[in-house]
Amino acid sequence: MNIQEYISSGIVESYVLGLASNEERLEFEQVCATNAELRQAREAFEISLEQHALANAVPVPAELKQKIWNQINPGIEGATVVSIQADKKQQPLAPVRSISFSKLLAAASVILLVGSTLLNFYFYNQYKLSVAKLDELIASNQQMAISNTATQAKLQQYEIALNIIKDTNMAVVAMKGQPIAPQSATTVYWNKQTKDVYLLVNGLPQPAAGKQYQLWAIVDGVPVDAGMLNMNETNGLVKMKNIPKAQAFAITLENAGGSKTPTMPIYVVGKT
Amino acid sequence: MAFETQSQEPSFHKPPTRLSNTVTYNEQELVLLLKAKDQQSFSYLYDNYSGALYSIVLQVVADKELASDVLQEVFVNIWRKIESYDPDKGRLFTWMLNVARNLAIDMVRSKGYQNSQKNQSLPEGDYFDKTGSATQQSVDNIGLKKIVGKLKEEHRVLIDLAYFKGYTHEEIAKIESLPLGTVKTRIRNALIQLRDYIK
Repeated sequence: MNIQEYISSGIVESYVLGLASNEERLEFEQVCATNAELRQAREAFEISLEQHALANAVPVPAELKQKIWNQINPGIEGATVVSIQADKKQQPLAPVRSISFSKLLAAASVILLVGSTLLNFYFYNQYKLSVAKLDELIASNQQMAISNTATQAKLQQYEIALNIIKDTNMAVVAMKGQPIAPQSATTVYWNKQTKDVYLLVNGLPQPAAGKQYQLWAIVDGVPVDAGMLNMNETNGLVKMKNIPKAQAFAITLENAGGSKTPTMPIYVVGKT
Repeated sequence: MAFETQSQEPSFHKPPTRLSNTVTYNEQELVLLLKAKDQQSFSYLYDNYSGALYSIVLQVVADKELASDVLQEVFVNIWRKIESYDPDKGRLFTWMLNVARNLAIDMVRSKGYQNSQKNQSLPEGDYFDKTGSATQQSVDNIGLKKIVGKLKEEHRVLIDLAYFKGYTHEEIAKIESLPLGTVKTRIRNALIQLRDYIK
């Protein structure tokens, strides 16, 4: 294509004024990249267009620059491009708005205050009730914890006793009440391997003050001390002294602390 | 642009002083500073070009208040989108001119504007007609519009539709019931005449 023809076809003006189609635009830019003559023609038109526009400039509203500046740089007030007249238009408006707004704000505050005070009373009463209830709950919870601990301890005790009785090495010696206390009965659990002796009180009369039951192992006809029985611990199995050998077990009521040999009648007795 | 920068002193390295109002930038350094978001260069740009761009906007959006809103948008766009300006494709002013024209046309085509125009056409009477025509006259008397007024009717209508109303050649062909080729030829011829008028 003849470049002169192209230049004078109106494409330059069409391109610069933004009226060229996409195709025309791309073609124009391509030719421009390589053709200085076309570039010069374009620049010449651009310059005359610019000068024409500058010569026909219309005065711009004074506050516009500040508005633009505020939009570009929100938050930075009155930075470098401030024009002093900028605020003139807004000033008379501001107080009117702020008065009505503050009145509204005051009304809202009063309503909020009254509402909040009423709510405070209500919530305070609720709070007091809750605290009382909470105290109750804490107390009853503590009570339960205590009784739970006791139950656990007892359960543990029974488990231990059960395990002792379950042992297959355990010999059971049932001891029957003698004429002095025919209703009495006790049981000795005697581990043949470890020779440990446990006493279970099935029933014994409450001893008089200063008196205590004493267990005896009868070894070859001779009574050997097998330990004292504390009546406070008769709920389960009571561990007595280790007895390696015995033909029978018997219990007498002795002075507290026990005797070396039995001095009183036998309450219960049983053969191994 | 090239010959302009060559003819000037390489003043780019000395920082422009704020105190003096006579600071000038050549286009190349102005673009560089704008792309670096330099506030002073933007202020300079506004001071030197807002009037020219306002006139462009007014030729599309006749209402002064709306036009000033558009102009605000134009400068905000220039500030934010200066990165997309490519000096190889034309001068800075040409780019700004097209930003202004496009935003102005967008405004005229927006629903809000269309509705407001409808509402304004409802009231009748002398008052509105007089002010309406007065505004119209003043707009016809500025910038390119004044020159377009010198064109033949058949050219003037097409430039008005294409340049000031933003219709594509195809749309204009439909509106005017003309062959697309005729629309293109007439617009090209009209543009050549315009070029000669503003020289």
